Amino acid sequence: MELIFIIAILTITAFLNILIKKRVIIEFLSIVSSAVSLVLSVVVAVKVSVLGIYSPFLFFSVDSFGAIVMVIVAFVGFTASAYSIPYLRQETAKDIIGFTRVKQYFVLSNLFLTAMFLAVMASNPIFAWIAIEVTTLSTAFLVSFYNKPSMVEAAWKYLIINSVGLLLGFMGTLLYFTSVNSLGGDTFVSWQILLENASHLDALIAKIAFVFVLVGYGTKVGLAPMHTWKPDAYSKVPAPIGALLSGALLPVAFLVILRFKAITDISIGSSFSGNLLIVFGLLSVAVAALIILNSKNYKRLLAYSSIENAGVVALGFGFGGVGIFTAVLHIIYNALIKSALFLSAGNIFLKYSSTKIEKVKGVLTALPATGVIFLAGFLAITGMPPFGIFVTKIFILSAGILAHPVATIMALIFMTILFTGFLRQVVAMIFGEKPAGVETGESNVWLVLPPLLLMAVALGLSVYIPSLLQTLINNVVLHY
Amino acid sequence: MIMNIIFLQFLLEIMFLTIIFLHLTKKNFSAAVAYGIQSLVICFLFINSFFETGNVYIFAIVLITFIVKVILAPLFLTRLIKKHALSFSVSTYLNTPLMLIVIAGLTFLAHSRKFFPLTDIIPTNQVLLSMALSTVFLSLFLIINRKGVLSQILGVLSLENSIVAFAIFAGLEQSVGLQLGVIFNIFIWIIIATVFASMIYEHFGSHDVTFMKNLKD
Repeated sequence: MELIFIIAILTITAFLNILIKKRVIIEFLSIVSSAVSLVLSVVVAVKVSVLGIYSPFLFFSVDSFGAIVMVIVAFVGFTASAYSIPYLRQETAKDIIGFTRVKQYFVLSNLFLTAMFLAVMASNPIFAWIAIEVTTLSTAFLVSFYNKPSMVEAAWKYLIINSVGLLLGFMGTLLYFTSVNSLGGDTFVSWQILLENASHLDALIAKIAFVFVLVGYGTKVGLAPMHTWKPDAYSKVPAPIGALLSGALLPVAFLVILRFKAITDISIGSSFSGNLLIVFGLLSVAVAALIILNSKNYKRLLAYSSIENAGVVALGFGFGGVGIFTAVLHIIYNALIKSALFLSAGNIFLKYSSTKIEKVKGVLTALPATGVIFLAGFLAITGMPPFGIFVTKIFILSAGILAHPVATIMALIFMTILFTGFLRQVVAMIFGEKPAGVETGESNVWLVLPPLLLMAVALGLSVYIPSLLQTLINNVVLHY
Repeated sequence: MIMNIIFLQFLLEIMFLTIIFLHLTKKNFSAAVAYGIQSLVICFLFINSFFETGNVYIFAIVLITFIVKVILAPLFLTRLIKKHALSFSVSTYLNTPLMLIVIAGLTFLAHSRKFFPLTDIIPTNQVLLSMALSTVFLSLFLIINRKGVLSQILGVLSLENSIVAFAIFAGLEQSVGLQLGVIFNIFIWIIIATVFASMIYEHFGSHDVTFMKNLKD
């Protein structure tokens, strides 16, 4: 029932937002629906930790990894919704947007959340594909939200690249059905049925299908070389949507890839999919590290960091062993920290009215709380202790050092380059003299609390992993 | 096969030719019509599936596909062409002789032994699957090679049609509900893509994607 309720409340909220003419009610409904989704997602996670797989209906099924991703989507969704209210109010006060845009924002963001939940819950791969395609359709207008030429260009690039990628993913998805095509066209083929029939999958088809799936859904994840839409889209969307794209959508798309990986591994062993993930992972870390050095826009900086972290997760799943456990943890930490970074980047934008690094100086003076969160977020995302990413990166690299020493050492080198490049840019923004026209002080405490909450949870999970989460991650390790 | 295999091959050849036409044509209106014809071929392939399986619900797919892809999609595109007076399509990255060489190469690749695992999913349909696979490759090439927004939209739609054709001949058709979901998705995609095409024209005064150079770091 919880699954239906999550979808229903978000969908109803999206459609009610079209009709409602009072901004306060739209904001209230959006925050309530995201809060309810969060509570219900936690309930589902508890059930999954006990049952293994929670599948109350034919069309919906949540496994341990699904439960983790659901809670991530719900938590990032809740903080993004809470942040969106004061953020969009400030933008309205500055005459950047009007009421129609606010309505459009809350309709589309709720549809986006619904699609992400559906993709996680869907018990059928085609159903999941449809939901992931909906995430593209619902966010395309959020990329072009401010209706400037560069935004329309970014949105078009986003729409075309992701649509082509997902169609290739669709082709790959269909190929997996060759193992069960004797069941006939009317049979509802679930992930579970595909897993059970994986041994009947032709080895060569399994390889080709996984390549299609990895390229297709990898486009959505933003793995290099399919990452090109990411810096453009991330730098143009409103800050809370950037948090959702990076913190919530990335794990959702990864979940789908890993479900196909599990099927492929049964058919042909884990080395083929593992090696491909290592190649794409290493390439992503390398591309991010080399581009970040010359980045001039702090939102693009976060996008490159997102590409790097997608690469690190791919490396973790590619290396296997302890890499899997830490890759799941890495997904969680990245979701929390990257979302906090995007939200604090939103505060910086509101204060400086620019996303150019050269125009943003002295953030720590102008925005003391945001400055601390942004600096802490940078240290956390690049793998500084005491944050969990320090541990996950070390364990992922140690998982690969024996079997793939060259790839591991190269990854380490590129991570170091990325840290240096990121540090150079962040130092330029955080310290120094703030520009003369920029006033000191946070404009609204509600703009600080959501990123602070995200960072606090990230820090908390870095030092203590609750037994519920540990159980879920252990189940993921057994399964993948 | 209820429909003669020669007839099915003929249908696929029409589909193949529509994609070649989309590569070569300089007129947007003809391109929109070619997509409509291509989609009509897909409708015929679904009718064949109905005769094979006896599943009456497939008629719902035929009907919806006909409405969305044969009528509405070309209608939206022609309205866009008329609205912005876009009679002639934007050029390609490769010149025509080079383009034809690439098309021949991709068609050859789809028929080569490299892709034998895919084209041999149903051995009796090997010729059909090879041709369907070549339409997938050619549609991808269409998206990459064309500079026009409208051509890119047609490329994506053509790629989707090609994958559907491949799935039909490979026996990978999904349940009716899921197929309707996919078609509905495509319908929304068409609406969004045409809205963006209008927005691009308003902002850049052209449908040429090479005019869009605002995404500097």
